[in-house]
Amino acid sequence: MKHTAPTHDFEPKIIAFVCTWCTYAGADLAGTSRMQYPSNVRVLKFPCTGRIDPVFILKAFQQGADGVLVSGCHPGDCHYIAGNFHARRRFAVFRKLLEFIGVDLKRLQFSWVSAAEGGKWVEVVTDLTVKVRAMGPMTEFKELAMEEQWSGAINTPELQEAYNAI
Amino acid sequence: MPLTSQPIDTSIYSAITDAIKTEAERILTEGQVTAVVGYAAARRKGSAQPIIITEATDAAKLIFTAACVNNLAVYLTKAKKEVPKSGKIGIVVKGCDLKALTGLMGESQLKREDLYLIGVPCAGVLGSTVQPATGLTTDTIAPKCTECDAHLPTGCDFVPLQTPVTPELEQKYATEIARLEALTPAERWAYWKEQFSKCIKCYACRQVCPFCFCEQCLCDRNKPQMVDTTPRPAGNTAWHIVRAMHLAGRCAGCAECERVCPMDIPLNLLNRKMAKELKELYDHEAGFEVLDKGPLNSYTDKDDQSFIK
Repeated sequence: MKHTAPTHDFEPKIIAFVCTWCTYAGADLAGTSRMQYPSNVRVLKFPCTGRIDPVFILKAFQQGADGVLVSGCHPGDCHYIAGNFHARRRFAVFRKLLEFIGVDLKRLQFSWVSAAEGGKWVEVVTDLTVKVRAMGPMTEFKELAMEEQWSGAINTPELQEAYNAI
Repeated sequence: MPLTSQPIDTSIYSAITDAIKTEAERILTEGQVTAVVGYAAARRKGSAQPIIITEATDAAKLIFTAACVNNLAVYLTKAKKEVPKSGKIGIVVKGCDLKALTGLMGESQLKREDLYLIGVPCAGVLGSTVQPATGLTTDTIAPKCTECDAHLPTGCDFVPLQTPVTPELEQKYATEIARLEALTPAERWAYWKEQFSKCIKCYACRQVCPFCFCEQCLCDRNKPQMVDTTPRPAGNTAWHIVRAMHLAGRCAGCAECERVCPMDIPLNLLNRKMAKELKELYDHEAGFEVLDKGPLNSYTDKDDQSFIK
């Protein structure tokens, strides 16, 4: 029988920053349990959600991620006692900052997935992939990375012409 | 909002100048402090510059005017080497500068017993020192002063007995934040893209910030390089986001970053937005009391997690 996977015009790149103790083990469980989930997700393993710096998320977007997932242990289950509590506050604030800058927060998902929740991992990844696929590519940060510096104040036609002539 | 520019009464500043001079002379003569950080007249008429005096005879140089915009707290951080590090230091502080000192004490950068605080009852300072001799009006006042809640510094060792006249002013940052929040994400992105594209990565904002005292900044590291160091849009945006994030919960709004920015990027707008969010989320306001732990290195088990699946 021929396998017919659904085809899409756009396949998003999703970067998942996960903690090694819970979500990574959860994703592992999903794999060993033969659960299917979108291959759009690229998993990066960290010791703890507390280790995940907001700058990693920025970097991911700049380097071409269309969506970012940050996932770790449920509150109270942190291997390092309080790493996820700190992360929770940090990301709550970071979300607000990104929102103010004008980033669509639907591309950024946070979740708690324990080592026993292979099914939840599948659900979270699938949801985010479907959502981001519908939204299309994340262009904002990529455009920035592509752009040369033309400050509004010095962007005269003469300069632009001189630049093009280089 | 007044339609025309109203003058703001700064007549108390001359009495404050005299009081600062007398007090600085006294504490230096008595040997209570080894140095006093204050303001002195600069070369242009009406302008002021920071000065560090170690001799009682130099106390006469000290002034306080509406052009005394600098936050002197930055001279006490370990990034700055001009101030003698032994003995007690006297420092002239406005209410906003005092908040920075409070934050630095909480972060174990300074000890209260090493400081002699000369508080200034402040009616406001100029927003720009391009024309330092202009009078203080509702138009020329610094935006931070329109939202000031610390006209009278508290907990200082010495405060001249003056009461500043502080008219009710339109809160410039709150208004601007509300305006931006009402826009769509795409419009906000366009706004900040335009603002950040002006950045020339001079790092004046970092240099002047009392809280940017890290000996090695994350943004200067190149293994791994987290933030692009060239003044191009991607690195600029990342730098300003990282900067706002690292100041969240710490910045008390001295607005020095915005004042020194040669490209006029509204940096304090980001800081005020973060302060507003921290107030809403964790009921935290920076600069009012010395806290062992700020809002982002403490937690409760009841913190909001509605955004987490």
